[in-house]
Amino acid sequence: MIRVESLHKVFGPKPDEALRLLAEGRTKDEIREATGDVIGVQDVSFELKPGEFFVIMGLSGSGKSTLLRCINRLIAPTSGRVWLQTDDGEIDVAQAGPSELRRLRQEHLAMVFQRFGLLPHRTVRDNVAYGLEVQRVGHAERVRRADETLEMVGLGGWGDALPSALSGGMQQRVGLARALAAGGKVLLMDEPFSALDPLIKMQMQEEMIRLQRQLGRTIIFITHDLDEALRLGDRIAIMDDGRFVQVGVPETIVTEPRTPYVADFVAHADPTGVITAGTVAVPPEHPRVDELRREPGSRVLSHRTQAEVEIEVADDGRVLGMRADGAGAELVPIDTLLAEEAPTSRYRDRAAVVHADRTLRTLLAARNVCNLPVLVVDDEERLIGLVTEREIIHAIIEKRGHNGDTNGVTA
Amino acid sequence: MNALLTDAVFDPIRIPLDDWFNDFINWLTFNYRPTFQAMKVPVEALLDGVSAVLLWLPPIAFIALVAIMAWRVAGWRIGALAAVSFTLIGMVGLWDLTMVTLSMVAASVVVCLIIGLPLGILAARSDRFQGGLRPVLDVMQTTPAFVYLVPVVMLFSIGTVAGVIATIIFALPPLIRLTDLGIRQVPEDVIEAAEAFGSSEREVLFKVRLPLALPTIMAGVNQTIMLALSMVVIAALIGAGGLGRPVVEGLNALRIGQAGIGGLAIVLLAIVLDRLTQAFGEGGAAKRG
Ligand SMILES: Nc1ncnc2c1ncn2[C@@H]1O[C@H](COP(=O)(O)OP(=O)(O)OP(=O)(O)O)[C@@H](O)[C@H]1O
Ligand SMILES: [Mg+2]
Repeated sequence: MIRVESLHKVFGPKPDEALRLLAEGRTKDEIREATGDVIGVQDVSFELKPGEFFVIMGLSGSGKSTLLRCINRLIAPTSGRVWLQTDDGEIDVAQAGPSELRRLRQEHLAMVFQRFGLLPHRTVRDNVAYGLEVQRVGHAERVRRADETLEMVGLGGWGDALPSALSGGMQQRVGLARALAAGGKVLLMDEPFSALDPLIKMQMQEEMIRLQRQLGRTIIFITHDLDEALRLGDRIAIMDDGRFVQVGVPETIVTEPRTPYVADFVAHADPTGVITAGTVAVPPEHPRVDELRREPGSRVLSHRTQAEVEIEVADDGRVLGMRADGAGAELVPIDTLLAEEAPTSRYRDRAAVVHADRTLRTLLAARNVCNLPVLVVDDEERLIGLVTEREIIHAIIEKRGHNGDTNGVTA
Repeated sequence: MNALLTDAVFDPIRIPLDDWFNDFINWLTFNYRPTFQAMKVPVEALLDGVSAVLLWLPPIAFIALVAIMAWRVAGWRIGALAAVSFTLIGMVGLWDLTMVTLSMVAASVVVCLIIGLPLGILAARSDRFQGGLRPVLDVMQTTPAFVYLVPVVMLFSIGTVAGVIATIIFALPPLIRLTDLGIRQVPEDVIEAAEAFGSSEREVLFKVRLPLALPTIMAGVNQTIMLALSMVVIAALIGAGGLGRPVVEGLNALRIGQAGIGGLAIVLLAIVLDRLTQAFGEGGAAKRG
């Protein structure tokens, strides 16, 4: 959908000189000494699939807003390309002519601003309809879509008000509605929820997830809120000093920070929301799992720390049955288990089956209602491994997956 | 006394600037008088049109219209003020002259808008243009009006139209300056937002810059009107009609009463127009909160 190639932005009098020095490996400070230039963005490349939710994090001044503005060319990149997938093939925003740029902005690149940027002389409705107005959408249709979008961000009755009559959080939602109403396939969002109270923020986040799923919007989202990033992002990029220092899925960012900067960033992350069952599960070949005996077509595994547990697995990997303390145990999908009214004491005759993508949070909930190890399976219901309390606790303490290591620490 | 200590020291290097100036105006008059005369035509048409309407309107109707308009844009106090002022003007026997003055002011302001708004917009767009324009505006604004009355008369002859043209020269600068200032003051983030949604430069100008600059532009209009009114008496010196006449005649014949009521009518007109245009500007500002 979007492919950014080696994007640089230099602020100052001698950008070419600065780029040359940068290529020679000089540091930002040396370059500022020599040329008076500030490096805003340095060699950023990434590619997004349609419908991807991409989150950018980084300290203040790390260049997040500058990068976002280079994508719709509110700031002209000093070098690099911004390929945008359109119906007419890929177009480089950085090289587009004036009328083409306008069209790309109208049809593809809606933006939510850090400082709202509402038009103070227009009503909330006319602000939201602004994108449609420059797209020459008729008045009635404009009003209809603006009101619809306002409804969606929870500002149904406010269409006739002026922005100055709204609180900061409400103005921010007007900015959000303006971008949503414009209908662009790519949403550039610069800290769009920073001024919202926690409750509204949560609602807006859910709305964003829904929008992305249902309407297939591709979203680039800047935030300072790690929990928000982990919740929303398909992938997260951590930015430092104009560069991407690490790009990855939330789980990797939290569990395998590549630099101390990233580690500091995620130090206070709540791991239960990101670490998945698949990573913490103890696989069948693990030293703590014994293979007791082979029977034709299946094998039986026993878990050493809970010696009475035996699991029968078919040759193709599917779980056939489970015995606990010699008695048969019922295998129940985790959502069924969680939907039931919780028993007064934890089940000893039922075990939860959970998909590898579910998070620790879900596993914890399952441990709350049943005592037996949780069985982790893949898309085809094949056993990936077991999770007991021990694995969960290890993961929380170490913020690491199990990955076959006995004491829960991986490199 | 030593010649070096008196102004005789300048004698060997006297610059005949007055002659040059003379020659320049003569040259301009000789070669371009028809051009300048042609420039009078649209101004004259505008002036005649406005004054025809104002003089045709029955005073009662005019007072009612102005009072209602003032009440709508500026509240009932200003509405009442306008009604009382114009009634008073009629009662002292200056109705027709006031209408002539009003049409002169209106015509000058309209021409100022036609010239000033585009120049102000251009000045806001380009630092170079602004830099070139600024000294011209300074000269227009600081040159005493009496100084350019003579060239105006030579180029445009005497009469009301020449008066209006002198008024335009004098009243134009603040409108250009404040249009420029107002547009430059529009916050960058709002303009960026408009651009981010794919607005053309034209759309940014008409949908964002001008509406947001409106209160400042209205302050410019207000100043232009006030300056135009302050030219009423001076314009009468070169044969312009209106309220300046009784003042100038009264001055010459030492008829203090005649000059006094003329002055009073000008002041009343100024107060009403000032309050009205201010209310227009604040209306825009209030909307923005
Ligand atoms: N117009 C400009 N001229 C010069 N330097 C600039 C300009 N805009 C941004 N910068 C510099 O570029 C760097 C990155 O700024 P940017 O606004 O992108 O940071 P950010 O990551 O968005 O920060 P925040 O989280 O505070 O919004 C900063 O060092 C800033 O000083
Ligand atoms: Mg920023």
